[in-house]
Amino acid sequence: MIDSDFLSQLERIVGTEGLVRDESELLTYESDGLMSHRSRPAAAVLPETAEQVQAVVSLCHRHKVPFVARGQGTGLSGGALPHPDGVLVVMTRMNRVLDIDIPNQRITVEPGVMNLEVTRRVTPDGYYYAPDPSSQVICSIGGNVAENSGGAHCLKYGFTVHHVLGVEAVLPDGSMVHLGGAALDSPGLDLLGVVVGSEGTLAVVTKVTLRLMRRPQAVRTLLAAFDSTDAAGNAVSDVIAAGIIPAAIEMMDRTTIRAAEAAVQPGFPDAEAVLIVELDGPQSEVDTLFRQIEAVCERNQAWGVQVAQDDAQRGRIWMGRKAAFAAMGRVSPNYYVQDGVIPRSTLPEVLRRIRALEQRSGLTIGNVFHAGDGNLHPLVCYDDAVEGQAELAEQVASEILSYCLDVGGSLTGEHGIGSDKACHMPKMFSDDDLATMQLVRVAFDPHELCNPDKLLPTPRLCGEVPGPYRAHPAEVAGLATRV
Amino acid sequence: MATGPSDVALTDLNTRLGAPVARAGAGSDAVDGVVPRLVVEPQTPANVGGTLAWATESGRTVIVRGGGTKIGWGPTPGPIDVLLSMRRMSGVEAHRHGDLTATVQAGTTLSAMNAVLAEHRQWLALDPPDPDTATIGGIVATNDSGPRRHWHGAPRDLIIGMTLARADGVMAHSGGIVVKNVAGYDLARLLTGSFGSLGVVVNATFKLAPRADASRTVAVTLAGPEQCGPYVAALVAQASMPTALELAAPPPAMLVRFESVETVAEQQALQAVTLAEQQGGRAVVLAGDDESHAWRAHDTRVFGTGQDGTILKIVTVPNEVSSTLTRITEAAQTNHLDYAVTGRAGLGVLNVLVQGATEARASFVTMLRDRFLPGQGSVVIRRADAELKSLVGVWGPIGDGLPIMREVKRRFDPTGTLNPGRGPAG
Ligand SMILES: Cc1cc2nc3c(=O)[nH]c(=O)nc-3n(C[C@H](O)[C@H](O)[C@H](O)COP(=O)(O)OP(=O)(O)OC[C@H]3O[C@@H](n4cnc5c(N)ncnc54)[C@H](O)[C@@H]3O)c2cc1C
Repeated sequence: MIDSDFLSQLERIVGTEGLVRDESELLTYESDGLMSHRSRPAAAVLPETAEQVQAVVSLCHRHKVPFVARGQGTGLSGGALPHPDGVLVVMTRMNRVLDIDIPNQRITVEPGVMNLEVTRRVTPDGYYYAPDPSSQVICSIGGNVAENSGGAHCLKYGFTVHHVLGVEAVLPDGSMVHLGGAALDSPGLDLLGVVVGSEGTLAVVTKVTLRLMRRPQAVRTLLAAFDSTDAAGNAVSDVIAAGIIPAAIEMMDRTTIRAAEAAVQPGFPDAEAVLIVELDGPQSEVDTLFRQIEAVCERNQAWGVQVAQDDAQRGRIWMGRKAAFAAMGRVSPNYYVQDGVIPRSTLPEVLRRIRALEQRSGLTIGNVFHAGDGNLHPLVCYDDAVEGQAELAEQVASEILSYCLDVGGSLTGEHGIGSDKACHMPKMFSDDDLATMQLVRVAFDPHELCNPDKLLPTPRLCGEVPGPYRAHPAEVAGLATRV
Repeated sequence: MATGPSDVALTDLNTRLGAPVARAGAGSDAVDGVVPRLVVEPQTPANVGGTLAWATESGRTVIVRGGGTKIGWGPTPGPIDVLLSMRRMSGVEAHRHGDLTATVQAGTTLSAMNAVLAEHRQWLALDPPDPDTATIGGIVATNDSGPRRHWHGAPRDLIIGMTLARADGVMAHSGGIVVKNVAGYDLARLLTGSFGSLGVVVNATFKLAPRADASRTVAVTLAGPEQCGPYVAALVAQASMPTALELAAPPPAMLVRFESVETVAEQQALQAVTLAEQQGGRAVVLAGDDESHAWRAHDTRVFGTGQDGTILKIVTVPNEVSSTLTRITEAAQTNHLDYAVTGRAGLGVLNVLVQGATEARASFVTMLRDRFLPGQGSVVIRRADAELKSLVGVWGPIGDGLPIMREVKRRFDPTGTLNPGRGPAG
């Protein structure tokens, strides 16, 4: 229980500046990027040091008060949704770059440092930080670590987990541990590999050592238009079949192309689908493979091919892609983003089902996705002002997830399970699978204090029989069906 | 503990499994000189689970073996009730070539797996020692890799899904068959490198790589070990993209491999030659048989079948590879040991073979361990006699993460059934 005594102890740790208890100020933290889930924390703290984090967590542990870490609050699965009876630990003031070690291609930062800031700091030396979520200007490294965030260039270079070498973290009992380090292969169990992607449920990360990459010699980017998403999908398959792993292959459909055009005018052709393909590496390799990519596009009847001639043109193409989510705001009052993954060879089949669902439900569904690794981002458009549409949108989004699971895919490729999809977990994993994951959780957090009710389904969250579906009027009316 | 004679246990287990899957252990089954009471070679996941459940319920210990190539790694076991051999759980279950993924049973050897994947010019991009005998389960359990880790990563970087059998016999899945997936805790990664102490790998799913068209290797002879660091730095600085960047000593030499389309591999190799010459070294480009030869010779320097001796894994940060190599040389000379080093110059992961008196090897390990601050490097014993392992310990300092690692082990295996004492956290 959080009482005034508890609050004054918090205040002693983080100072008056670092404690938020005012009801209206707490509103700021009510939700993360998943606006449909809201909850006000009992208190929020903004620690400045790892010691303060440790003291806050220890206090919570002693009083059995739940706590939730929050980075920049851009998460799309409700991972940073506050606990109504708990403390929100906001990491934004821990934003120092602690050590830049170019000879070892390492950088050590506090978790509140923004993703893009890492690259910015090492650009003068010719290095960059590879994972590049579209939100890289506004999301924190701590959030990236928690979500194992991806980005367009993860096809070739891997996800956050492949670039985090070590963390300092406060465990739910208040003890501090160092997992991994500047050197690879620290002896011991690979707990680093589990903490990355654990959505803030195992520990609060207070320091992160990242691997830096050398800027490639050459980069070439191509944009190609297609008369159908099938044709674009076939081009993707042909690229992979040719044994080429591009730095990125992204696809957008007509809805998201138009939205991006309306928002940032990247000069995309008005097509059923566009592909963005980027190659990087040694100049000679890029030149050779680029010709093969052009040939693949031609074979699949691509048109309106644009090849970026310089960084400015490349920047414009990527701006169009990265703005796609936000741009949907221009064509729809509200939208719901999904993050399901499918084996990339099933792309045409799954897209056809999504099209059929779009017609049946009457809701517009935009598609923008990491085509190279089969990570879909269907954007289900709705209007909150229209009675029942929000629920219908959630229903439609759920159905898309079922399509993904039908073909052996996953509920989420990069946004995480959070509170949004915890109740869907039993559709992907058996009770035994979930019970085994729970073993990890209880080893770290036996008292269920650290971001509880996220990631794994709980009876409190999902009811006795875990499962997200309630019969919806639209379903009864035959507009949407369960699979 | 099992009290009755082994044949009672044998009958009991075979009855439970409904088939004569278990047999009595023999001298040839010994692990670090310890002969297991029973050996089980299941052919189905159900029998893996059944064996584990039986062992846990009756308080018996189980050691898991794949191809046996690394069974001597890890601390010397106490008495072994059951040796669980995964050898017969073999075969590629699915090769989804359009998706660049494959699922394989744990007892499949790496070579057998890659032979299947080769039909579509793909492979599991791992090249650890003993590919003809090492199984996927063993490679995953030890997170073992080889020179191409430089570009492709280690098993922990390539594994995307797993079916595992828990100590209590329950089967669990993690991850899936898609290359991008953040649903749930990554148990596959947790089990990778856990030395069979948390669960038994039944099958694993990996992301694959296309086979390159062509390969070239630059063999570099360096003036001295201190030349290694600057050469690697120079390669990095010009954004060269080798798939392997290997160091060997003594005498100090390097192998740098480029794999791409032919003209590109050739051109990159020539650039690497020029760079070596600028640094005062000598270099030649190898292709075809010469290239294969050079790599075979390199691989067998530390891991060759004829090599006995202690194998250590010494890890440092990349920029300290040269100085670490110098320290290794000095420590070997001080302790009158013969030694050979190979390893990933760009990653800081070295394999070291040392031969000599036990106390001298122990002193060598201690001298090098003392040099590393936590998180900055480590000296782990891979293969060694029981005596050395008991003198200096296999892992060296694990750091402040040890209590939580022990707690994870305790939750997964509360009765201490699985590879007891052999994993890094018990
Ligand atoms: C427009 C837009 C585009 C996006 N594009 C992408 C994309 O391309 N790829 C992608 O992967 N994601 C994307 N996202 C999602 C989001 O940006 C990422 O998940 C990001 O990593 C979240 O970082 P954050 O700092 O905002 O974390 P938050 O949202 O504050 O928190 C996310 C999770 O991390 C935990 N957490 C935060 N800090 C810590 C810490 N120090 N220790 C422990 N746990 C912590 C929280 O508890 C929570 O569970 C996008 C989001 C938006 C709004």
